[in-house]
Parts: sequence; structure tokens; C-alpha cells
Amino acid sequence: MKTRARLPRLVACGATLALALTLSACGDGNGGGSSDDGKIHVLVYGDAGNKVEKQIVDTFNKTSKVKAVLDTIPGADYQQKLQTIISTPNAPDIFYNWGGGSIQPFVKADLLLPLDDFIRKDPHLKDQFLPSVFNSAVVDGKAYGIPMRGTQPVLLFNNKKVLKDAGVEPPKTWDELLDAVKKLKASGVTPIALGGGDQWPTLMWFEYLYDRIAGPGLFEKALGGDKEAWNSADSKKALSMLRELVDAGAFGKNYDSVKYTNGASPALVAQGKAGFELMGSWYYSQQLEDAKEFAGKDLGYTTFPTVPGGKGEPGNVVGNTNNFYSVLKKTKHPEAAAEFLKLMYSDEFVKAQMAIGNLPTTTNTEKFLDTAASPDYARFQYDLVAKAPSFQLSWDQAYPPSAITPIHQAVQQFFNGQLDEDGFIKAMQALPTE
Amino acid sequence: MRRRPNYLAGAGSLLWLFLVGLPLYVMLAATLRSRGDYAEGGPVSIPDSFTLDNYTGAFDSGFGRYFLNTLVVTVCVVGLVLLLVPPLAYAIVRSRSRATSLIFRLFLLGLAIPAQAVIVPMFYLISEAGLYDNLLGVILPTAAFCFPMSALILSGAMRDISPELFEAMAMDGATPRRMFFQLVVPLSRGGLSTIVVFSALQAWNGFLFPLVLTQSDSTKVITLGLYNFQTEHGIDIPGLLGAVVLSMVPVLLVYLFARRALVQGLMGVGGK
Amino acid sequence: MTTQITSPPPTAEPRKRARRRPDGSYTAKVARPGFGWAVPATVFFALFAIVPLIAVAVLSFMSWNGLGSPEFVGMDNWTRIADDPVMINSIWLTLLLTALGVIIQTPLSILLGVWAAGNQRNRAVLSAIYFIPLLLSSTAVSVLWRALLDPNFGIPARATWLFGDGNLFGKQATAIGVLAFVSAWQFTPLHTLIYQGAARAIPQVLYQAAEIDGAGRYRQFFHITLPQLRNSIITSMILMIVGGLTTFETVLILTQGGPGTDTTISAYYMYQKAFKGFDFGAGAAIALALVVAATIISLIVVKVSGYDKMRSDMEGVS
Repeated sequence: MKTRARLPRLVACGATLALALTLSACGDGNGGGSSDDGKIHVLVYGDAGNKVEKQIVDTFNKTSKVKAVLDTIPGADYQQKLQTIISTPNAPDIFYNWGGGSIQPFVKADLLLPLDDFIRKDPHLKDQFLPSVFNSAVVDGKAYGIPMRGTQPVLLFNNKKVLKDAGVEPPKTWDELLDAVKKLKASGVTPIALGGGDQWPTLMWFEYLYDRIAGPGLFEKALGGDKEAWNSADSKKALSMLRELVDAGAFGKNYDSVKYTNGASPALVAQGKAGFELMGSWYYSQQLEDAKEFAGKDLGYTTFPTVPGGKGEPGNVVGNTNNFYSVLKKTKHPEAAAEFLKLMYSDEFVKAQMAIGNLPTTTNTEKFLDTAASPDYARFQYDLVAKAPSFQLSWDQAYPPSAITPIHQAVQQFFNGQLDEDGFIKAMQALPTE
Repeated sequence: MRRRPNYLAGAGSLLWLFLVGLPLYVMLAATLRSRGDYAEGGPVSIPDSFTLDNYTGAFDSGFGRYFLNTLVVTVCVVGLVLLLVPPLAYAIVRSRSRATSLIFRLFLLGLAIPAQAVIVPMFYLISEAGLYDNLLGVILPTAAFCFPMSALILSGAMRDISPELFEAMAMDGATPRRMFFQLVVPLSRGGLSTIVVFSALQAWNGFLFPLVLTQSDSTKVITLGLYNFQTEHGIDIPGLLGAVVLSMVPVLLVYLFARRALVQGLMGVGGK
Repeated sequence: MTTQITSPPPTAEPRKRARRRPDGSYTAKVARPGFGWAVPATVFFALFAIVPLIAVAVLSFMSWNGLGSPEFVGMDNWTRIADDPVMINSIWLTLLLTALGVIIQTPLSILLGVWAAGNQRNRAVLSAIYFIPLLLSSTAVSVLWRALLDPNFGIPARATWLFGDGNLFGKQATAIGVLAFVSAWQFTPLHTLIYQGAARAIPQVLYQAAEIDGAGRYRQFFHITLPQLRNSIITSMILMIVGGLTTFETVLILTQGGPGTDTTISAYYMYQKAFKGFDFGAGAAIALALVVAATIISLIVVKVSGYDKMRSDMEGVS
């Protein structure tokens, strides 16, 4: 026991060392994030795509007197962190968002700078972007966001080989889809892969079917606060068609245990265990990473089937229109912010985005389509989005953030039978619209 | 003293080894194969490619810097815990004053505070103190949240010290201070190493405080860096796990090293 | 750091003993530390945990979405969560998962801890492996298990006789089972560590005496080991209970509270309310309710077990 008496001294030494380290750590902490250091802080969602954002910030800093600093918030908790800091002195000057409902609470709290003045001084800030995309960051008639990554329409992907083996053509109409489901099931594969564990892939089926049957108007009304829209005949028709699809075994039995985000549902398609998957356009680059051979040879893609008699135009798309940069009202350097936003339609920006597989939504994008990794796919998407009569922003992004969880729960519960038609309608009527 | 081998315990521990080992095998195997190979074969298959890209990829995404930041946070948190918790636990176990009994209850209450619950006020507190986006702003709350559990573990260990030993020291006229340094601390080494391991892990794996209380790249810690492998719509699993393996290597080394020292120390005590 | 505590000091025999008090007065009264010893840690802790908690308590009577200034709404948040069926359901789920945690992890970690307390080399290696899950962040644990339990590419696909269609995350009972199992996988090592430390501290004399009396292994375990581990069992159980009441990361990444709200436990519900729905008032109310519940349960455990009395198991022994 006596031999241990030195121990406390060691402990004390360790602690002193620790504190010394702490102090030295403080020394080089630069206190970033404060808004009065003569710089503009640009806050973005942290992932591999940050490469381009870094490049653009560097380009900006070459000529600008006011320097920009890029801060990233990792992944899934972006919105949480943003909401915590946005009304404090640590808020950024410019930040990444999804347009629509994701910025609506900030607009209501009068935190965002309407970009109309910027646009008046430089009309390109509006006319260089595809209108259907630009409009999803317009709130109450004022523009609040400039598109800053790529557009991500939702497409119906397929495995050409699986379809051929089952004698199925990519479906153009809903009935052809139901027929394909039957044939694929008979040939022993899961007709449609679905990452139900993530919940949002399930939602995509609702978004498209509602749009095809009722047109974009129904959802717009519902979002505007008209709860009866959910109770309309069109709404009920969409639900019963979804029910029919699920009951036909289109998604197999264990889709709620499958996730898209860990690569499980794309693997089903790539390995010929499933025929279709409805997913955002990022699916292509995902398959290119995970299953190069398949992506090059057998990965097919089409638009969502039409529904005969439906009110929605066949050219309508749903999905993520783009991501946006919005500017905070309290920024001390609005001119610099405007200059920074102008880079979002520059040739350099478009080329850099194309190089990492994103499809920007500027009008000059068309010039560079041939430089894309897969020009055919890029052109298909670009034409689709540019010509779309309506581009419906994903429901979970159109509604304010507080509605996201209830929406996800409701679509999952409708698919697995915990909610019937009426239950689903009630759940949607209970959503907060502002 | 020799004892017969315990076959039942052996079999049970092997079963547990399988349950623990399988995911670990999957993890290691995944990090050594390409993303395509993993996606094709699935988690439990035998890899048919070999690559270190997942590890180099982790370093390319700024891992070195994040690693240093995490190290600073961990060392400081452990230092604070070791400096402040042993006297606290000593008081909880040995003091007869009513106030310390209240304090014990306070820490029990503290045990039940989820960091999630207080994160918003914490953000304001740290901002007001001018510690936002500063590693110190992460260290202080992380350490504080290690206190309740550490105090509970350590006071449990200190309770096991025989009262006779205290009485014997009292015979020598020892002050509480001397008892603390010569009796309590040496005899609660097991508890001390548990709280070191515990608080080091809390700091090393801490996610929420760094997420909300830091912002720039220069203050980012590993757990936040892991998210570089996650995009809005998917995860690069081999890349993510590669970074996870890298991030746990140092802690595992410390544990192995400390464990050996612990065993030796105990054998030393046993010899007396 | 760890090495500094545990490695034997290079030189033995400290010189402190020289300052011994004059030994005239052998009072039976043992000098005890005063309240002052606890002050630094308490102040530090109060500043970073209790002060924010008080703020949360105040917030639970306000309506706030994180933007603008909070508005006082009285009991509104409380009545809202009291009437919320998802909330009521989440309480039962929380209790169920907590109970499952204690029931699964306690015997497992006692056995593993006692077993790992032996000195054989293979045990050292094995217990290092057992320890690894503790090193993984919850994100990594959940990602791993989600991949392993994938119905098409994971274990269920290779053992359909056991898992059927593998829809583990699509049904409430199996989803809860997975959550209980994964938390056990992740947290058993911590409790094993506690028991291992405590089992090492049991005086060998006791076992030698029992051996002489002819007590077998199992009698030794039940009559010496278990009683000697009493304090650790209580410590570990308190940790499991409060851990069970407050964990949510596993739910967040494994099930997201689904299918539907079937695994939405209270702590996760709080997270959803506060950080997904930005209803910080309701989130604060749930958080406070959780803190109070966990504290009451811990205090009951402490009271029933007499843990807060200055008693030691050693008293009855030597």
C-alpha cells in the first residue's frame, strides 16, 4: 500500500498537463463563427460534396476584399444545429437549405434577407436559373434562395436484365406497372425494391401518385391550409391505388427492414433480386460507386408511369428541386454576399458540380452537358426538369420541419397497414402548415 | 491457489465472443474491401478484394486534425475528472455531514440528465462565456457530464475499503487529507481506472456537445468527421467504418496498456 | 492518463511518513472529510448541468421554436404531453426496454466480469475483445447491426429457419427485441468492467476459507462472490436504469421510432419534439419528466438497498 503513495502526485501531474493542454488549445482556437470578424461565414451541409463549395469559396476569396469562410455541419443533424444558432450572434451570413418549408420558419421570424434587391441589381441572379427550381425558394412572393448544388428529380430505375428475363417492358402507365409487378413476382424476384426503413423512400410513391392523379394543385391547397384537400375523391383514389400496389406484393414483405441509406435496397436491384426502385437522381452515381458494371450495362431509368384519366401532366416531376443558399438579414456584408451568390451561375461552378455528378439548374448548364460523367443521363434529367410543367418539392421539404416526423410516420403506417385510408387522411390533416 | 477450470463459464464466454466478434469481423472486413465489393457481397461475405483506400480516405477528409482535437478534448476531460471526482467521492463516502448526503442526491439527479435535454441552454451558456467554437467549450460540459457516473462508480469502489483501515490510520493520528492520499486513492485504483476509461470514452465518442458547440473545421472532432462518409441520401459504409476503426485504435491501445498495468498492480497487492 | 494511475511508481517508500503526529491521543474517533471536499466538483457540475436543467424547467412552461423569444404558456406543454397517446405509449415502451436491459445485462455482465477477473492470459485477450463494443460510437454500432440484420444480405438471409422473412424492423415485438439486444451488446462491456474491478477486490482469503470448508464453486459464487458484489450490483443497476431511460441514439439510428411509433421511447420522443419538430417547450417538459422519473427510481434503489448508509460489506466479513 505504501508503494502507491506517489500515485496522487502523478494524478496531479496528469491533471496539470491536461489543463496546460487545454490552455494551449484555447490559444489557437480562432473563435470562428462570430459574425463581426470582417468575414462572411458560409454554412453548408457537411459531406463529400463540400469539395466544390470549398473551390468556390477559394475563387471568391481571390478577388474579394471581404473574405468568405466555409463552415460545415455534419450530416443528419444540420437542421437541428442551424435552428439552434440562427438567431444568435454565432449565426452564419449565408447558409445551405432545401428551400420550401425548410426556410419558412426563418422567414416568419424575419431572419432572412429577401434577395429581390440583389436581383434588381443583377437580374442574372434570377434569369440564369430554371424557373421551376428557383421558385421553390420563393416564400410569400419573395425570393430567398439561390440554387447551389444539383437538381434531384425522382425517377423510376430498373434492372434491364431482370425486366427482360421476366418479359417486362419499362411501364408507361400505371396498369403496365401493375402488370409488371405480377410478372416479376412470378419470376421470383421482388418487383420493386423499397428502403422502407428510411421512411422517406416510401413517401416518394405518395408524391408521384398524388401528382399524377390530382395534379400539383391538391398538395398546394393542402399546404396552404385547406385540410379538406386530403379528404377529396382524388386523394382517396391515390390511396386506394397505393393500397392495391402494396397488397399486390409489389414491395415484398420485409421492406420496412430494408434501408436505402446503407446501400441495401440499391444492392437488391444491382444484383437482380428486384426489378425497380423509385429514387432520386443521385441513384445513378450511387450505383456507379457500388456496382460499376451494373450501372454501365443494365441500369435503366424512366419517368414515373402516367395514370389514365389523372389530372397531372405526364411531364410533372417530384423530388428535390435543388439546394439553396439563403442570406441572413443581419449580415454586415450584403454586397459581398451578393457577389458570392453570383458565382452560383458561373461556368466554373457548373463545371465543378458536373464533375462530381451533380446537375446544376442554371441555363448555361446545357452547354456543359457533354462534359458530364454520363452525358445521356445528364441530358435526360436536364430536359425533364427544364420542360417539366411542375416540379413538386418533396412533401417533407415543402412542409415546415415540424411536419417531417408525422409525415414519415404516416406513410410508413399506411404501407404496413397500421393506418387505413381514413387514418392516413386524419394524420395528414393534423399536420402543422406553418 | 489452483482451481479447476470452469467449463460452463468457458462455453458461455465463447458464445459471447462469437456475438461480439461477428460484428467486429464484419467491420474489419468491410474496411479492407472496396465499396463495390462490399455492396455486392453484403456484410457477412468473404471479401474478394483488398484495399487500404478506406483508411487513406479517412485521412484525406481531415482525420489528422480531427484526431488531434479529439485527443486534446479527451486528455482534458480525463484530467478534470481525475482532479475533481476523487475528493468528491471521498466526501460522499466518508463525510457524515448532511450537506454531502444532499450532494450525493444531486449527483444521482445529474445521472438522469440526458445531454439532449439541456443542449439548448448549454449552447447559450457556452456562447455567453465566449467559448463557442472553442475546444474548451466542449471540454467543460463533457467533463461535467462525466461527473455523476464517475462519482457513483468511484464512491462504490471507496465504500469497499474496510473501515478498520481508516481506524488504523486514525490511530496514527492521520488527517482526512492523509487518509485520502495514502489510503483511499491507492485502494480505489480499480475504480479510478474505471472512471478514467469511462470518461475517456465519453470524451472520445462525444457527439452532441461538439456538434452544437463547435462550428469551424479547426475545432472539429472525430465523431463529427465520421459524418463525412454520410451524404444526405446514403452512407459510404466501408469508408465510415474505416474511420471508426482508426478512431478506436488509440483508445484500445490505452486500454490494453492500462489493463496490463492494472493486472500487474493487483498481483503486487496480492503478494503482500 | 490511465497508465499514470495504474503503473507501479518507479521508486517505492515515500518519505511522507516522517511527519507523523505525536502519538499520545489514540482517540477512537476517526477523522472524516468535511463538506469542503465535495465543493469544487459540485460547483463545476452545478454550473454546467444543474443551471441548464433549471433553464429547461423554465422552458417547459414556455412555447418556443428556437427562433424569436419564448412565450410563457403556463401548463400548456404539460397538459399537451399528458393527453398525447404517443407520449403515454412511449412511457410503457421506455419501462419495457429498461426492464429488458436490466434483466439481460445484469446476469450477463456479472458472469463475464467475474470470469474476466481471473488472471490467465487468454482472459486478458478475450476481455480486451469483449471491451471493444464500448469503443464504438452509437452511430457505428447501429450502422453495423442494421447491416448485419438486413433481411436480404445479412444474417437473416442465411438463417431463414430462425428469422423467417427477416422483417425484424417491420414488427413491434422484433424491433423491440433488436433494440434490447443491441443495447446489451453495446453496454454489457461497461458493466462487465465494473464487476471485473469489484471481483478482483474480493479478498482471496474468503475463497480460501470456503475451500477449506469444502464449499464448491457454485456455493462460493452464491455465498461469497454475489454478496461481495452487492455495491457494484446496485451501482450498475442504477446506471442501467438511468441509461435505459435516457438512451435514444440506438433508437434514432436503428428504428427511428418505427414501425410507425412502435419503438418511440420517451427520450427519443423528446428528441423528436425538440429537434425535429422544434417544439422546445414540449421537449423540455418530456425531458424534465424523464429526469424526475429516473431520479426517483434511483433514489428508491438507493434507499431499498441501504446504499447511502456508510456501510461496507467488509464489516460483516473480517
